[in-house]
Amino acid sequence: MSLTPLGCLLLSVLLFLAGAVLSAVLARCERLAINLSALAGVAGGVAGLFAAAPVLLSGHTELLTVAGPFAFAHFTARLDMFSALMVAVISLLALVASLYAQSYVREYQGRGAWAMGLFMNSFIAAMLALVAVDNAFWFLVFFEAMSLASYFLVIFDQDEESVGAGLLYFLIAHAGSVLIMIAFFILYSHSGSLDFQSFRTLRLPLPTASLVFVLAFLGFGAKAGMVPLHSWLPRAHPAAPSHGSAMMSGVMVKIGVFGIVKVGIDLLGAQASWWGLLVLAVGAVSAVLGVLYALAEQDIKRLLAYSTVENVGIILMGVGAGMIGLATGHVALASLALMAAFYHLFNHALFKGLMFFGAGSILYRTHTRDMTQLGGLARRMPLTALAFLVGAMSICALPPFNGFVSEWFSYQALFAMSHDGDFMMRLAGPVAMVMLALTGALAAMCFVKAWGMSFSGQAQSEHAEHAEEAPFSMVLAMGVLAVLCVLSGIGAPWLAPLFARVAASLTGGFMVPVAQGLALHSGQLNTPATVSTPLLALLLLAAPLLPFLLVGALRGSRMTRRHGGDAWACGYATERSMTVSPQGFVQPVRFMFGALYRLRETLSPAAFATRGLNGAVAGATRVEPLWDEYLIAPIVAGVQKLARRVAVLQRGDFRVYCLYVVVALVTLLLISVR
Amino acid sequence: MPNLTMIVLAVVQGLTLLLLAPLMTGVSRMIRARMHSRRGPGVLQDYRDVIKLFRRQDVAPASAGCVFRAAPYVILGAVFLLAMALPALTRHSPLSALADLITFAYLFALVRFFFSLSGVDSGSSFAGIGAGRELTLGILVEPTMILSLLVVALIEGTTNLGAIGAGIGGNYLQSPAAIGLAMLAFAFTVFIEMGKLPFDMAEAEQELQEGPLTEYSGPSLALLKLGLGLKKVVMAQFLLGVFLPFGCAAALDAGSLAIAAVALPLKLLVVFALAGLIENSMARGRFLLTSRVTWIGFGLAALSFVFYLTGL
Repeated sequence: MSLTPLGCLLLSVLLFLAGAVLSAVLARCERLAINLSALAGVAGGVAGLFAAAPVLLSGHTELLTVAGPFAFAHFTARLDMFSALMVAVISLLALVASLYAQSYVREYQGRGAWAMGLFMNSFIAAMLALVAVDNAFWFLVFFEAMSLASYFLVIFDQDEESVGAGLLYFLIAHAGSVLIMIAFFILYSHSGSLDFQSFRTLRLPLPTASLVFVLAFLGFGAKAGMVPLHSWLPRAHPAAPSHGSAMMSGVMVKIGVFGIVKVGIDLLGAQASWWGLLVLAVGAVSAVLGVLYALAEQDIKRLLAYSTVENVGIILMGVGAGMIGLATGHVALASLALMAAFYHLFNHALFKGLMFFGAGSILYRTHTRDMTQLGGLARRMPLTALAFLVGAMSICALPPFNGFVSEWFSYQALFAMSHDGDFMMRLAGPVAMVMLALTGALAAMCFVKAWGMSFSGQAQSEHAEHAEEAPFSMVLAMGVLAVLCVLSGIGAPWLAPLFARVAASLTGGFMVPVAQGLALHSGQLNTPATVSTPLLALLLLAAPLLPFLLVGALRGSRMTRRHGGDAWACGYATERSMTVSPQGFVQPVRFMFGALYRLRETLSPAAFATRGLNGAVAGATRVEPLWDEYLIAPIVAGVQKLARRVAVLQRGDFRVYCLYVVVALVTLLLISVR
Repeated sequence: MPNLTMIVLAVVQGLTLLLLAPLMTGVSRMIRARMHSRRGPGVLQDYRDVIKLFRRQDVAPASAGCVFRAAPYVILGAVFLLAMALPALTRHSPLSALADLITFAYLFALVRFFFSLSGVDSGSSFAGIGAGRELTLGILVEPTMILSLLVVALIEGTTNLGAIGAGIGGNYLQSPAAIGLAMLAFAFTVFIEMGKLPFDMAEAEQELQEGPLTEYSGPSLALLKLGLGLKKVVMAQFLLGVFLPFGCAAALDAGSLAIAAVALPLKLLVVFALAGLIENSMARGRFLLTSRVTWIGFGLAALSFVFYLTGL
């Protein structure tokens, strides 16, 4: 039996849901629940890939409408190139994450591991359904389901930090979805239908369209974690279990990007160039600030979460340049920029997933995320160290890994914008490129620190000293992603046209030539720039032959290599605490960019929220005495006054009491006689 | 894809630059010694040092890991790749598929990444601090470097280094102020990347850019010394190849290649001599305040960008 792509997608969603339900039903036998939910996840991931592949390869859009339970909203599923790309990214990472979870979740056995399977699988199912629906109502339903399921993942540990992070996440996610709802409502009030198709054909006046776009941009931007709406992200993502962090950082933030592209380009058609400039500017600021803050972290998962802010920024830079290109009629530029953005979106899912898995393996074996407590793990966890190194090199955009390819295309798109555009574009392009370059240099420092502090030098704690290699399925999951990082870098000449087709589907079918034989190509410039990643990889592998030859040829009567003793410490005995600390390593940068670090405190909406909350508490404390003063105090005073009056009667004299009795008797007699 | 002649040319060019590297660093040492009123070692001292180091035993602390071991090979390999891909003997790069401005920036980042990671991986606290400083310097230099190259790339309409060089060499008058300022700004970053005062003190090895070398010895140290020397030469040639491609062969005939082969060391010698003169007339600054100095470079680059926008 052959399934249509949408049938496959349905099957995939159902498999994830089945995993969720089974995991909840089998709460009593957790081992089985863990295994079954992992199995369902792997199967669902495979089904999702089978759903995406035919659409991506053929470029044919799949549509299906069924009458849902509600009269006002049809259930329309639409699998176009862009949603198929999202389905592929989600399924791929979900597949690997399920594999990883099979071992990782055992750590949580007895602490509600079954619930993790429930929330994780429904989280993935919601995301898969979300990218494929074509109706505003159902879109919002799945958006909420996704936020809710991930909220439960964030608060899974139930400690103070995770509950606090969960609350912040909950608030910002819902503030975001309110904005999105308003945006959709404006569209609905003009088109009279909740179908996205009706929004697409709608021609709104520019001010209304701009309002809708800005609302949606802020709403989805909060989900994507762009600066200045990012402050929930570095708290919420690390709090979730590591495979959950990987899914949230690798995929869920992309739903935010997906929404921005969906509304800005697909539904509204990128009408004004200032929309794109706004996205570009926010992207550039997010990239620089994200990695700058990542640099200063000493919690490895928080470092990775901040770097997600950076990468979302890089993706948004591509999206912004693409929107500018569409608005100003530079279709080639738009295609190239969107292609770069989508390539980076895909790559970031791979390497960020990989690195969160790596951090999870460290956490699994050493029970700490604090880099001051790690060190020396490369010798005890060599495979994890290697995989993490591949991830670090990819994320730093070092050639020939995949991060380099997508950043190269981003640079080329921005270059094309600076070269061919009007004055605004010629000004904005180089500024964005310089910020991208600064981001690259900061990222190198950030990940030298992340790898170096965790894996090299001396072990800084007992746990780190006695760590061992992560279990097989976790190593396998990391290995798969590491190999994919390498392949999607070296194999870029074959992969890039695929992303160019996805971009073309959003820019009116304009295919920009991005690959020529073994070389990557920047499209439509006067003298097109090229780079060949296979050649680069080959040469980078061959080049170390030269030093090998030198070492061999000039050996003379050299003795063999010797490793032993302590590192040199100016003649003093080496101590563990002498190793450079994560904070010491980046101290110059913290000093030089001090102003930008202080900005974080001023800009953060969390600070606003805290200030608001403090204000409310202070107000309440001020209001509380008012109640006392005007309501309770008078009552108390009245009662006391009355009591003093009554006390006059109690003289404590026996004769007076007799008199009272007599008076009472006489009174009663008089009443009864009358 | 490159043809065979180009590959041979690339390898010859890479080896030439590699062989020139110890001579150039030797000249730097000589100039420094003379300006300090010392006699100094001969200009060939760095060849002798490297050859001697190759014969010595490789000793490393117990805590040093696999990145520490691999780094000398990766670094020399990557810098050699850069030396092959530069426009040096010819106007256009022999490996045109790699001579892209962005690719170059990130290949330099690859070198920096491994160099500083090797410092951290040695487990020595000095090397670790040196690694952090090396990366910090990279952060300060990178924006200036990209912006100054970007200005000339925009003027020529391509990011290919050979094409930029060929275009500029033919015509400086298209926007002289912008090109001149971009060259100054780029020369500034080259000066920093060559590891010069006030940004570095190359003879004190617990210092910044040579800090990660602390624990290296024997052949590994020799490879790294060669690699860092070659990086200095590559940076100098980067400046020459893009902004001042005089004497480079425009076509592949024996006569112009011979002229280029003579001109190449002479031009490099001038750059190293100038850098040495400037370096030794400078005072050292506090590292944490380096960013105040690098702002000058960025200001130059930004100014050249403004000139480009206004078409001067």
